[in-house]
Amino acid sequence: MLRKLLFLLIPALLCTTLLAEAVYQEPDDFLRETFSGKVPEPAVIWLSGERKQFAKQLLGHRYPSLRVRYWRQNRRSAWVLEEIGKDLPITIGLVINDGLLEQIKVLVFRESRGWEIRHPFFTDQFKDARLDEDNTLDRDIDGISGATLSVRAVKKMATLALFLDAELRKQDVAPSP
Amino acid sequence: MSRHHRRKQRFKLSSFYVWHRYMGVSAAVFMLIVAVTGLLLNHTEDFQFDSEQIQSDWILDWYGIKAPDTMRTFLAGDRHVTLMGEHLYLNRREIEGNYRQLVGAILFKDTFIVAMSHSILLLTRRGELIEQLQDKDGVPADIKQIGIDTDGAVMVRTSHGYYQPDTDFISWKRRDENFTGVRWATPSLLETRLKTALQHHYRGEVLPVERVILDLHSGRFFGRLGPWLFDAAAVLLVLLSLSGGWIWLKRRR
Repeated sequence: MLRKLLFLLIPALLCTTLLAEAVYQEPDDFLRETFSGKVPEPAVIWLSGERKQFAKQLLGHRYPSLRVRYWRQNRRSAWVLEEIGKDLPITIGLVINDGLLEQIKVLVFRESRGWEIRHPFFTDQFKDARLDEDNTLDRDIDGISGATLSVRAVKKMATLALFLDAELRKQDVAPSP
Repeated sequence: MSRHHRRKQRFKLSSFYVWHRYMGVSAAVFMLIVAVTGLLLNHTEDFQFDSEQIQSDWILDWYGIKAPDTMRTFLAGDRHVTLMGEHLYLNRREIEGNYRQLVGAILFKDTFIVAMSHSILLLTRRGELIEQLQDKDGVPADIKQIGIDTDGAVMVRTSHGYYQPDTDFISWKRRDENFTGVRWATPSLLETRLKTALQHHYRGEVLPVERVILDLHSGRFFGRLGPWLFDAAAVLLVLLSLSGGWIWLKRRR
């Protein structure tokens, strides 16, 4: 009986361990794919003042760093952001084109639950999403049972990327001193 | 039923009742612990027991938690950058995250540049993380030293050559020249007061309150015999329920 139980338990434990970190796409490959192989030089946006406040309010905690890296070509920008679902960070790639979310992709998933967020049936809901005047997503996103925290993390990252992209576009039109 | 038989039955019932009481008293202490800790565990997130850490010295000693005696520290400007275990400190302030293999730290234009063997941290003077740069950000692998060259620019030495970042630390370039006169960061000694403070802080960051409540709940807190004691208490509870039921039935007749 015990032996049978072990036969069942050991593969289950191994599967859990293997599922612990799943790399669906390397961030470099995501960027190459986004910019058809010609990845622009990265640039950084600082999270200071209002941006810092917005990120803190949105995430419920301080963003872990004071500057965020992005890649931009004309009015199209790509972001690789991380947010903790329950215990571990989820790496998410986002592409924004002229203020609309063109693509959102889960690149690395490290949690033991909630990996369903990587599927297109979930991420497609964000297609062409933008921010309302009150800096919230312009649509409701259907959740996934058992993946509430991961879904929340993706929504937060989508909102943050759209907000930061809007900040960049504000800089574009700012009058020179 | 004869008088003698009734007396015998009463005696049996009263002795059972005495046993029932003793079992109840013996199990009570354990049941109190199990009930209270069970209640607390049901509300771990509400009370933030999963993120709060135990600070009490005697509990930490009881668990045998000790701070590492060896630590690596570098003096950058007037601050110490210290790695203890996987915890990184700028003087007494802990930097969020886990780190390994500190190879050097320097103060460069009001920013602390902290080099690990495979990543670079940029910190403000207040210890806020500006960015953690990794291989995906172009940081060279296997960093051995970090320093400032004769032109005042940051330089790192790796096992496969010298590299320099641009002014914003966004891209890195390999330098093939032979460099002399670079002021490399060298490990320094940590003053005793700071060392003691860091060791105290380290101990207070490794044992979540939830873990202690769980151990109290299962009896593991009380050592190797703890779970057996709690098993015995569970058996007592089973007996208590059975004897209680039996007494109730007998009294009704």
